[in-house]
Amino acid sequence: MSFEPKILGIACNWCTYTGADLAGTTRLQYPQNLRVVRVMCSSRINPSFIFRAFQLGADGVLVGGCHPGDCHYNTGNLYARRRLAVTKKILEFSGMEPGRFRVEWISASEGNKFAEVVTEFTKQIKNLGPQTQFKISQ
Amino acid sequence: MAISFKQIEDKLKTEAKGLLETGKVSLVLAYGKGYDEKHPMPYVARRPSDADNIVFNEFCTHNMARYMVRYPAGTKMAVAVKAADSRAVIQLIQEEKVKREDLVLLGIPAYGMKNPKTGETIDSKTTCGLYNPVLYDVLLGEEVHGQPVVSPYDVLAQYEAMDKEARFAFWKKELDKCIRCYACRKACPMCYCDPCFIDQNKPKWGEKSPESAGNLMYHLTRFHHLAGRCIDCGECSRACPVNIPLYLFHKKVAKDCEDMFGQAAGMSVEDKPVLVNFRVDDSDKILE
Repeated sequence: MSFEPKILGIACNWCTYTGADLAGTTRLQYPQNLRVVRVMCSSRINPSFIFRAFQLGADGVLVGGCHPGDCHYNTGNLYARRRLAVTKKILEFSGMEPGRFRVEWISASEGNKFAEVVTEFTKQIKNLGPQTQFKISQ
Repeated sequence: MAISFKQIEDKLKTEAKGLLETGKVSLVLAYGKGYDEKHPMPYVARRPSDADNIVFNEFCTHNMARYMVRYPAGTKMAVAVKAADSRAVIQLIQEEKVKREDLVLLGIPAYGMKNPKTGETIDSKTTCGLYNPVLYDVLLGEEVHGQPVVSPYDVLAQYEAMDKEARFAFWKKELDKCIRCYACRKACPMCYCDPCFIDQNKPKWGEKSPESAGNLMYHLTRFHHLAGRCIDCGECSRACPVNIPLYLFHKKVAKDCEDMFGQAAGMSVEDKPVLVNFRVDDSDKILE
């Protein structure tokens, strides 16, 4: 059986989640490997969510937020950008493949972009193979 | 060397006595005798007569900024600060944990501090490598000049050059040693959360027993919480009973924050910590 990755998507309510909705209503096809969790803002994401997701078996984590400047709360994603950049550096220095964690700005009108990003990211994770470093062996 | 540790000790005693006698401060955070000369202990002088118990030698590595947050807000106190310690004080002022006007900082310009465990001289390999305090009210002695200025991040080169599998193996080996005594957390001047995320049960962020998964979760999250705040005193690694080189990861994160946001932790009272701040023109490149 071919490897089907588990990807955690954390999407902001106002942009990326609505963008995902749009992708759905316009019947765009994208891989079903993404499991989306909705948060109110990308700055709601505690970096521990990401570490924990990798420990509990996620092969990749995709974070989606509004474009900088478009945040529903004005400045949320600007904080998130700095915070998630640090998260990425930490994952990298701890020895994880940098490609497993990705942050994308997807607005509510970009259903196409959402489908494209998910397709591309899933392909990338499939190439990287299962994530075993952080995963807690059961 | 311009000034000996004994001279610093005498000055520290005089200053502490004077401050306590005039009632300018209600306590002085300094160093006291431990069970032998190599192991001085943090010491709090509360009465003028306590000042005689203060000691200072090359093994007084503790970061006394750690103890400031234990006292109620508004407590007037004097703190003996070395180079990195003064940065910790600045960082705590930035985070509004202490107020500048409540503090009297007794700056100690020190060169040749030694790690009591290994006897090695502490330099930029394990700490920020500064000799003179950044912020002080009274300087005990003269500023240290003429010591080589080495970037504190030089030591990282060999770890950055490793490929990622080797680096993961390195960290796994190191972090697996952790016995979860939380000495790093206790020694760290920036770890003042109550309760710490790892002590919470709901949500339970990570396993609490000393095994790989929980250790990784605890340490990675701790590195993240100290991002842009760690002032590189190296006290976590010196406190560690199993000698995990935590300072390496902290240095790396500090270096990245400096590269990305152009600001080092604890260098100016006016700064804001980088992760509670943003610039509209931050580049998206930092996420790549």
